Amino acid sequence: MANSKIVMGKDDVPMWESIERGAMELQKCCTCGAFRYPPAPVCPNDLDEKSEWTKVSGKGTILSWVVFHKKYFDDHVPLYNSVAIELEEGPFIVSQLQGAEPEGSWIGKSVELIYGEHAGRIQHFAKLSA
Amino acid sequence: MTTSSLSKVASVVGVGHTDYRGDWARVRAGEKPYDSVGYAAMALKAALADAGLELSDIDGLIVGPTTPYDRMGEVLGLDVKWGGQGDAMLSVIQAVMAINAGLCETVACVYGNNQRSAAVNYGGDNAVGGGNFLSYIYHAPWGFTSQGALYAMMFRRYMEESGLTSAELAEVSVAQRLHSSMTPHALMQKRITVEDYLASNFVCEPLHLYDYCLVNDGGVAFIITSAERAKTMKGKAVPIHGVGRYDLNRGATSMIPRLTNFYLPAQQKVAEQVFNMAGVGPEDIDCLQIYDSFSCHIPLALEGYGYCKLGEAGKFMRETGISVEKGLPVNTAGGHLSESYMQGWAHQVEAVRQVRGECGARQVPDCNFVHYSSDVAGKAVSILYGR
Repeated sequence: MANSKIVMGKDDVPMWESIERGAMELQKCCTCGAFRYPPAPVCPNDLDEKSEWTKVSGKGTILSWVVFHKKYFDDHVPLYNSVAIELEEGPFIVSQLQGAEPEGSWIGKSVELIYGEHAGRIQHFAKLSA
Repeated sequence: MTTSSLSKVASVVGVGHTDYRGDWARVRAGEKPYDSVGYAAMALKAALADAGLELSDIDGLIVGPTTPYDRMGEVLGLDVKWGGQGDAMLSVIQAVMAINAGLCETVACVYGNNQRSAAVNYGGDNAVGGGNFLSYIYHAPWGFTSQGALYAMMFRRYMEESGLTSAELAEVSVAQRLHSSMTPHALMQKRITVEDYLASNFVCEPLHLYDYCLVNDGGVAFIITSAERAKTMKGKAVPIHGVGRYDLNRGATSMIPRLTNFYLPAQQKVAEQVFNMAGVGPEDIDCLQIYDSFSCHIPLALEGYGYCKLGEAGKFMRETGISVEKGLPVNTAGGHLSESYMQGWAHQVEAVRQVRGECGARQVPDCNFVHYSSDVAGKAVSILYGR
């Protein structure tokens, strides 16, 4: 077993640099204005290469969640959760909910991204919005 | 649009597989009976014998994704007019297309996988498949790994939307264990109950251990030939009545098609294509074979192909039933959960055997049509086998 690793493709670098600064940026297409995730060389709507790295608000809603009971990584010890979030800007991302957890279904709960250290790197997490 | 050109142009004339139970025991005892190419070779030998054919009758070769094409062809000693690589469903479709185009006449489709003895990981560090499917590895920093977790995330949302309960999902594992207990070559011979399922550990909640496929070594092969050639052969030929495919690639890594509508639009498009091509509908299907890396594929396919109403798969499985004893039989040899995890290949074998009427205790009476469906990572594929 080993620690979990970032998949760092060519286009992922600027995103992870922005996460390191505590404010995630994603590419926004200069033609249609769509945000895309994961980062990619062209916009899937129009194949335009031109995009602007744009800070996302960090606000979103939970689409679904799971709880891991099996251990797959040294740096993630069960029980722990993963959540799928729809960001205000459109993209779906995966993160981990920290702090208070909803009672009953988590789906539709408002969250915001926070940033913290994990296994020697900075990454985002989510917390329930106040 | 009706596409009918591929209906009944080709038939399966031979099927074969390795000794799953024998190899399972040997691997658990620390042996490595064969490598992936070796398993595939043993399966082809069985398929040729089933078809009553010789190697020299084969003029097309399609190999599964877990063996290299070149080495596979070399080991089998096959020089061919047409060659390719594909997963179970695309191997069948490619074979039908190649035969229809006149590029070759008799295709061997072969698959071998030493995933258990080679300790292949489907989650965690170095999870297999990440090179093709970025979603398998991209979310690892948050601990989100394994194909099971991707389906757990998808199915949690489905359960919350539809109200399907864990006890209803258990119907899949229970029915397939019943089937594998009636299948002499299946790995799992002991039946389970809904209570056993509910008492089992979660792997990635809401999915339990019994929702997950087995991981075992083995090989599968089938031989597909033109309809004309099939008529001249002694074996029981099973015509392919329809094929269909639709891929949801947009937003795949961030799970947009999984979480927005559970791949439903892909399955509905494929349903239209495959049923039109075959000239039948869901009401004509006697038996389903559904790619079941995880149990939750079954309720989603039941809805996607119109076997029950949208949002009612849980009720359908509980009240109508999905076993050979009650309702619409699904994965009659036990599927990936209980027979053998041959990544869809063994499902084709069972489909053919059901149409031939060779299935003994688990035989579906008057089995005219078997529908195979898979929705692996948003690629929905169907194949219709019939008399």
